[in-house]
Order: sequence, then C-alpha cells, then structure tokens
Amino acid sequence: MNGHEHHDHDHPPDAAETRDAGSQALAEALSSSFTIVKIVMGLMVIAFACSGFFQVGPQEKAVILQFGKPVGVGEKMLLGPGLHWSFPYPIDEVVRIPITEIQTVTSDNGWYFTTPEQELSGEELPAGPSLNPAIDGYALTADHSIVHTRATLSYHITDPIQYIFNFVSASNAVQNVLDNALLFSAAQFGADDIIINDITRFQEAVQQHAEDLVEQDNLGIAIDQCTVQSTPPRQLSDIFAAVTEARQKRAEALNEAHNYENRMTNNATATAENLINLAQSSKFNYVTNLVAEAKRFSDILPYYQTNSSLYMQQTFVRMLGPALTNVQDKWYVPVRADGEPYQLRLQLNREPPQPKTGATP
Amino acid sequence: MKKRNILNAIVGAALVVIFVLLLFTFQVRQSEVALVLTFGKPAAAPITQPGLYFKWPWPIQHVYRFDSRIQNFEDKFRQTLTADNNNLILTVYVGWKISDAALFYPKFVGSVPAAQDALEKILATDQSSVVGKHALSDFVNSDPKQLKFDEMEKTIQDAAQATLNSDNYGIELEFLGFKKIELPESVTQSVFERMKGERQKLISAEENEGAKEAAIIRSDADRTAAETIANANASALHIQGEGDAEAAKVLPIFEEDPGLANYLLRLDALRQSLNQQTTLILDERTPPFDLFTSMPTNGRTQ
Repeated sequence: MNGHEHHDHDHPPDAAETRDAGSQALAEALSSSFTIVKIVMGLMVIAFACSGFFQVGPQEKAVILQFGKPVGVGEKMLLGPGLHWSFPYPIDEVVRIPITEIQTVTSDNGWYFTTPEQELSGEELPAGPSLNPAIDGYALTADHSIVHTRATLSYHITDPIQYIFNFVSASNAVQNVLDNALLFSAAQFGADDIIINDITRFQEAVQQHAEDLVEQDNLGIAIDQCTVQSTPPRQLSDIFAAVTEARQKRAEALNEAHNYENRMTNNATATAENLINLAQSSKFNYVTNLVAEAKRFSDILPYYQTNSSLYMQQTFVRMLGPALTNVQDKWYVPVRADGEPYQLRLQLNREPPQPKTGATP
Repeated sequence: MKKRNILNAIVGAALVVIFVLLLFTFQVRQSEVALVLTFGKPAAAPITQPGLYFKWPWPIQHVYRFDSRIQNFEDKFRQTLTADNNNLILTVYVGWKISDAALFYPKFVGSVPAAQDALEKILATDQSSVVGKHALSDFVNSDPKQLKFDEMEKTIQDAAQATLNSDNYGIELEFLGFKKIELPESVTQSVFERMKGERQKLISAEENEGAKEAAIIRSDADRTAAETIANANASALHIQGEGDAEAAKVLPIFEEDPGLANYLLRLDALRQSLNQQTTLILDERTPPFDLFTSMPTNGRTQ
C-alpha cells in the first residue's frame, strides 16, 4: 500500500487520470467485443440447431444414425418424404436411401469390345479372327458355341437397411448377379436358341436366375425388368445371315405349299359339291320329266288308240311347223322329172378364223 | 458482473465437456466394426454393435474402425484345365466381409486391398483344384440337371473359407459366383470354324427339308383333292342310280302302248334337234311338203 502511495507520489496527477481513461476505454472495448462474441455464439447455436432440419424427397427414405446407431426399429427406422429434424453431426447422421427410384445395372461382360459412341455412330472396330478374353466378352452356350449377350436389369430397393448398411456397393453386387445369371442361362441354351429361336425364354431364364441369386445373396432388392440382347460373333455374321435367309426361304416355300394346299382343297370341295348338286338336279329333272311324260302318255293314250295315224300326223306336223321356222337353212329338193334324185354336194369347212382382238393393230 | 461470470463458466464447462467427450468417447457406425487397442494390443472383443463407446485417450488406447459391410471382389482372369483337358479362362466374384476384426487387423493392418490380395491367392489354388475335377459339360450343358455351376461355386467358396479360417484371417465369404467363363483366344478361332460348318449344314438342311416338306404338302393336297372329287363322283353315281330306280317305277306305264311311247320320244328328240343351226334337206314326201305334190289340180286330186 505504501508502495502504491509512493507510486502515486512519483507520478503527476494528470498521468493517473490518463491511465484511468485508458483502462476504462479498454474495459468498454472488451465489453462490446464480448457482446459481439455472445451474439455470434448465439447465432451459431441457432445455426447449429437449424442445421438439424432436413428434407426427404418423394422417392426417398431416410435413416437417422444417432451416435452411429439407427434410431427406431424395423419400419419405424425409415423416415418418409417431408421435413424432419435431427441433431447435427456428430450426434446424428442422416442417411438417404433412394427406395422407390428404379435403378438399373447393365452387364456387358458378354459383349465384344466397343464403346457407346462407336455403337451409335456405327463405326465399331472391325472384328479380328479371334476373341481376346482380356477385352472381348462372350458367353459359352450349351452347344459349346460362342454368343455375345448383354443384359440390363431394372430394380428397386425393398430392404433399405440391408441394401445400404450391409453392402459396400450393392449395385456392384447386383451387377455380379446379372453377370452370373447371363453365364448360367447361356450355358443351358443353344446358340441359335439364344439368338433366334428362343429369345424370350432365354430372357426369362436370365431374370429367373438373377432373382434366385438376389434372394440367395439377400441383396434387399426386387427385380422389375430384365432385358437381354444377344448377337452372334461378328466373325460369323455372314453365315448367321445366310441361315436366317435359308429359314425365310423355307418358310416361304412352306407358305406357298400351304397356299396351294388350301387352293386345291377348296377347288376340290367346290367341284365335289358341284358334282353332287348336278347329280341331284339331274336326278330330279329326270324323274320329274319322266313322271310328267307318263302322265302325258296316259292322257294321250285314249286318243291315240282311237286313230293312231291321225294323231301321229297331226302331232308331227304341228311340231314341224314351229321347228322349221327356227331352222336356219331349209333345202327343199323336189324329185326330178326323170325320177332320179338330185345330187347335192356339201363342202364342210372348219370354223372361220376369228378376228384378233387386242391393243395391237 | 456476476451474471457474466456464470455465463462464462457455463460456456467453459460446455467446451470442457465437449473436449472430454471427444477425447474419451468414440462412435461405432451401423456399418462398422471397431477394435480398441490398449498400448497396441486388443483390449477386448471387437465392437460390432453401433453406438457411443468409452475409451481412454491416446496414447493409452487407440480405436480402429473397419467397414463391416460385404465387399465385392472380382478375381483376375485365370486359365484352368478341366478334368477333360479343356482350357477355360475363369473369373469369379466374391462377396466377403470382416468377421473378426481382432484377427483381421494384425494380418492386414486393416487394409482391404491387402486382404483381397490374400484372397486372390487362396482363390487361385481352390479354383484350379475344383475346376480340375469337373468336365466342360459341367459348365455348359443343355440339360440343366447336368450343370454343376452351383456345386462348383459352393465347393470353391467352402474350400476358400476353410483356408481363411485355418489361417485366422478374420474374413467370411458371403457368396461366390462365376463372372466369366471363356476360352483361350486361339481356341475361339477353331470354335468359329466349327460353328460355321454347323451353320452350313443347317442351311443345307433348311433348303432340303423345306423343299421336301413343301412337296409333301403339295402331293397331300393333290391326293386329298382327287379323293374328294372321286368321292363326289361316287355320290353322283349313287344319286343317278337312285334316279334310275325311281324312274323304273314309272316305266311300266309306257308298256301299255310301246308304239305311242316310242313315237312321243322320237317326236321330242326331233323337236330338240331342230334348232337354228340345223340345215334341213327335205323332199316332197315329208309332210307338210307332200302338199306340193298332192294338192288337187284342175279338180282332180292326186
């Protein structure tokens, strides 16, 4: 205290006032700085709290991991679309899962080396005499042949926990499944069945095997669709085209033969019907006419028996009159005075040639 | 001033708590397994359940986290000889995961690539061993029952798992499958030649069989048509016979006077024959032209 007093005595009074003013200014500056810090901290706390809000999209589900552990059990673990809140990291962590979105994987393990650009432009590299296993993919078939085949699988996630938390890359696992399904299915089918004859059944076999593997490996997905494209090795394109052409020709030949068969059958049936109808008609006419003639005979008989000569002359001349009217040429040859018959010479010709008809003059 | 001190104390305490928590706790995520080492040695069994855990700060304890999810591993191309001496180039894929971090860590220092290198070596041996016991027909066969895909995959997986277990790698194989089955490049060319020959035979068969089937269809059609018409002719004859039988019942009527019957028939026949195309040559003996000579002249009748 004495020192302090001594100190006070050592300095002039205006110096002490200056020091107090400085301390006061420093105190005020610190106070205002502290206020700013408090405001900043308050804002940070608010920002920290607000950063916990998150939105889940319509095609998503979300899982909150609290200290790494999922919050909730079973279905309650999954948060649906909407606005949600969680503690910010590192307390909580939000994992989004595209659950309803259709996802696709493509297996081109069995396809020859090409790029999408080359395929689109049609400028693929020409095929060599053989296939290099390092770059060219293909599948071996049941008849020990080679085909190129690739598939695209569409799927959606059915078990998000399994799909996200049990696989480092579930989509890679799905692709491996598809690769295996293509190999397995191709191994049971002949090359021609895969490429031409049984395309649908092959595609179904690929999808079925992929579904079996998905279930066996517990991937937590459901397959929606599987499309498969297959083609013969490019080295054999010409010969496969020739097979297709031969098959088409065979089909055409069979079609023509079936057309002929139909035409012949229909014609024969029509002819047969005609023959039978004619026979029926002929029979009917014959019998009906005969019955009519019998009746006519019975009606005439009494008159005829009365004077047969008169009847015959009358009916003959009555018939001859109208008949002679219709006859084109009638030659009356009287008996010569000397009683000898006249000689008539008849020259028989062919039918006169018909004038040609048509555009050519 | 007192109030400010309390606030400062709270903020300070909060910071201390956060610092202590960061120092003394650690999280294990849902997809992780953690191994706590005390002075470099495993302190306890690996932590497989997610949550918040206590630890002593470094350098007393250190926490290693591993991904407990299934890893995909695709093996390299490997040429293998089958039991019937066919060379196949095979690739397999494997789904594996860390089953025991306490074993896994010292073997690979937590390195997944190092683990996959080891896995590759194990698979090389087991794959060759298993494939060597199977014929090519076990890989490709039109009879699905003869295919041994599943059996071979399972055997390779079991053999590799047994090796992993015996060597205490702390790895579990979840699944294994073939990813590629191909032939050596030189063999593909001979396969193409064979396929080409088969297709040429097929083309020839298509052409010949097509012609044969078409000829059979045509001749069948001809035969069927002929049979149909023959049957129709027979039916027509039968109908005609029926007509004749019915007519026979009427004919006795004409027996009453055959002369009249024949006269009427002849008269009808003559009427029908005298059409416009007919040239008729007559003399005066034919009525009515006999009138030319029999007409009475000068009061006398000839």
